[in-house]
Amino acid sequence: MTATETNSEMEEFEPNIIGFLCNWCSYAGADLAGTSRIQYPPNIKIIKVMCSGRVNPMYVVNALQQGADGVLIGGCHPGDCHYQHGNLLARRRMAILKNLLEFIGIDSRRVRMTWVSAAEGRKFAEVIKEVTEEIKKIGPMKDIQRVNEW
Amino acid sequence: MVDQQLLIDEVKKVVSRDDVKYVIGYKKGTTGFTISPAFAYSTEYADKFIFNPLCKKNLAAYPLLEDKLPLKREEKEDKRKIGIVAKGCDTRALVQIIQEKGLNREDLVIIGIPCSGVIDYKKITAMFPNETAYSTIEEEQGFYKITINGKVHEIAKEELLADHCTSCIAPNPVIYDVLIGEEVEPWDLEEHKNLDVLEEKDVGERWEYWKEHFDRCIRCYACREACPLCYCKECMADLLNPQWIRRSVNLSENTAWNIMRAYHLAGRCVGCGECESVCPVNIPLMELNKEIEKDVKNIFEYSAGMDSEEKPLFGTFRPDDPEEFIM
Repeated sequence: MTATETNSEMEEFEPNIIGFLCNWCSYAGADLAGTSRIQYPPNIKIIKVMCSGRVNPMYVVNALQQGADGVLIGGCHPGDCHYQHGNLLARRRMAILKNLLEFIGIDSRRVRMTWVSAAEGRKFAEVIKEVTEEIKKIGPMKDIQRVNEW
Repeated sequence: MVDQQLLIDEVKKVVSRDDVKYVIGYKKGTTGFTISPAFAYSTEYADKFIFNPLCKKNLAAYPLLEDKLPLKREEKEDKRKIGIVAKGCDTRALVQIIQEKGLNREDLVIIGIPCSGVIDYKKITAMFPNETAYSTIEEEQGFYKITINGKVHEIAKEELLADHCTSCIAPNPVIYDVLIGEEVEPWDLEEHKNLDVLEEKDVGERWEYWKEHFDRCIRCYACREACPLCYCKECMADLLNPQWIRRSVNLSENTAWNIMRAYHLAGRCVGCGECESVCPVNIPLMELNKEIEKDVKNIFEYSAGMDSEEKPLFGTFRPDDPEEFIM
């Protein structure tokens, strides 16, 4: 959790980004980025899920409550889903969730979605770079920080 | 305006059918401008049935509350139908429940009532704070005629009309077995009050607005209990493992609850306004619902509760769903 208040600390703000990556494409893409030794920012903390359609919108909300400054959901390209259409269902859900968060006053750029295939290690690194830079610009998420730790 | 005698006769006719267990409708409440749900098990109960502009309550939740007790040995299941008096928005809720297979269409006898808008209880009690009874209430050419203690008050319709009625897309019942009275003309739709004001603000200002409201929330879950579409046997908010929402009442958990409630009604909310009218701390929940309804309409061209054969919004997809937000 980064409690940055002053400007000098703001410059060093390192965001926490939670990545929900699908087992079959995005996670393998991240793996490829690793084995190909492509550099990308270390701010992303990856949680492997079996499919991007597995990502419950409450995962995103709870992540933002528990100290994440941004959430990235990675799935297969449309048509490539291991479970036929899990990613297409996720796409619908996230479209509505992003609009709802925006309406409530949580910057919807904090929640990002991406299609990364198992062969796109370089794209994965670029996506992480872009997301990290953007969330650094938005600043830390402190509006709905969970207060009770029990 | 619905002829009361016509309604009573129709309820009597339905309840005397062999295959109908009871009919759910409205009756006058015990005090002030309240309305209670009424249950007619036989024809003599039907006499107290009413329908007037105060009947805002959505009764679609009641058939779902039916207890299904385990059967005794050699006991036959009671397969009789339930009759229900339903306005336009109530039938939309029923259609949505039927679409989700929560109820069977064959188990319902729907007595449809064309509705030209209902009165907001909070508005009318603010206008007459000390009245404990009224004799009649009628709608006439843009005015409500309210008779209290022999004195007739004429009040413009806009002053009392519930906010959600201005953007109602189904004033006439969507499905019905019996229709009482004449169908009404649909009116010009207005956007929900305050929605475009909020949309013009920037993210920070919107958060300040919602923060103030969510901070007040006492998490009584009245919005969930009153909603005809919140009928899950086990709500995610009540689960302990995983505990999606902690029990403590604070801004963080309240926000999570309100996001969850609004999100679970995405593409399902029929806009009956029950959640907002039962909220003890007056959180404008309909603004959340209407915003999602608008997004769903714009992005997916889908309206909840209009066609029971349609697939649920999040249970299906189109290959060309918009994905400009995806990297």
